[in-house]
Amino acid sequence: MAKYYDIDDIITDEEIVAVIFQKAASGVGIDPSSETDCVEVGSKVELPFWLAHELQQRQAVSMNIPTSFNQNTRLEIQADSACVDLRSRCPYFYEFGCKIAPLVGARNIGPLLLSAFKSRYKEVLTKAHTAAFTAASKNLTILTKEETNLYEAAQSSMAAFKKWRMGGPRFQKASILGRKRKSTE
Amino acid sequence: MAGQSDPQLSLFSAEEVEFIAEDEMVEIVPNLRMDALNFVCGDFGPFFPQLATQVPLWLAVALKKRGKCTIRPPQWMTVEKLTQVLEAERDSQRVFEQLPFHYVEISRLLFDHARDDIPDVYMVRSLIEDIRDVRFHKVETNLESLNERAFALKINNLSAMEVNIVRPFVGRALQAFYKHDSPDLIPDQDRVSDRRPQVANNATRRHLRR
Repeated sequence: MAKYYDIDDIITDEEIVAVIFQKAASGVGIDPSSETDCVEVGSKVELPFWLAHELQQRQAVSMNIPTSFNQNTRLEIQADSACVDLRSRCPYFYEFGCKIAPLVGARNIGPLLLSAFKSRYKEVLTKAHTAAFTAASKNLTILTKEETNLYEAAQSSMAAFKKWRMGGPRFQKASILGRKRKSTE
Repeated sequence: MAGQSDPQLSLFSAEEVEFIAEDEMVEIVPNLRMDALNFVCGDFGPFFPQLATQVPLWLAVALKKRGKCTIRPPQWMTVEKLTQVLEAERDSQRVFEQLPFHYVEISRLLFDHARDDIPDVYMVRSLIEDIRDVRFHKVETNLESLNERAFALKINNLSAMEVNIVRPFVGRALQAFYKHDSPDLIPDQDRVSDRRPQVANNATRRHLRR
């Protein structure tokens, strides 16, 4: 419940999960490809995570592994995790993986996340503090939200330090004083 | 933490660290006579011409700006000492040299306000810049060795400004590692109770001031 107000958490819950319905549902327009409003038993539908989670708790659906964690991604991460474009697959890769792991029952998501994060972390670290702005932009587009947070934290603190070191006036003029009074004519 | 400019990032701004650094004592040589000054933090003075006294840095800078004193550079701020420190920094990969906690801020303040009081000011300045670069590079190299076993990080002899720069990054990284390493995510891994931090340089902890 501590994450109730966390925006990142809310958006993570929006990720799509493929589920298989165990019970028939009528009167719901969830599946856009079916003609009627009913959903058959055993049909595969794509739902957002918050809905799939609730339905799974009521044993109405069973969740599959989402596409972001399938075999393709796994192989890519094992090959070279630093270059995998995680943001286009799932910008909340790590958070989503943490939520999915106990529900789907696949035991290898956790170590996958961990190894991916470990190797990507080194890349983020080396680029974060020191790289010039232009050089880093290629790396930025492939980071997930969590890694981007890390990166930006380091960048901003480094930039603040550099700005302080350059010197300059120690007092900041309040912005309201800078506005010239408009002539009333 | 209270007094931060950006609590989201758990970061002190550079000006705030400088403000804290201004409490360090330096030696000045006043050039006029003045009675004792009574402040909330203590009493300083009375000041006699040509007799060195210890005052906090903020007071020294204020007096210097009014032309009432000259500041004597601290002991560690000579070309010989700094060259020594630089050599030692370059030699070792993991160990940081013993430098005053606020050396970056003190040196910057002195360069800004008391440039003529420091002998060989350009040499000293470039030496301090080099030392800073080498140390920061060392910090980064050591941070690469963070992995999932680390939930605390201990680096000795790191100065206030360096700590401030890496603080948000390291905090978030450690948090992320901790989150991904929780036991329900990784059921098969044998949980060795050996959770010592990776960057384990053995030395005394730094005591917080007063």
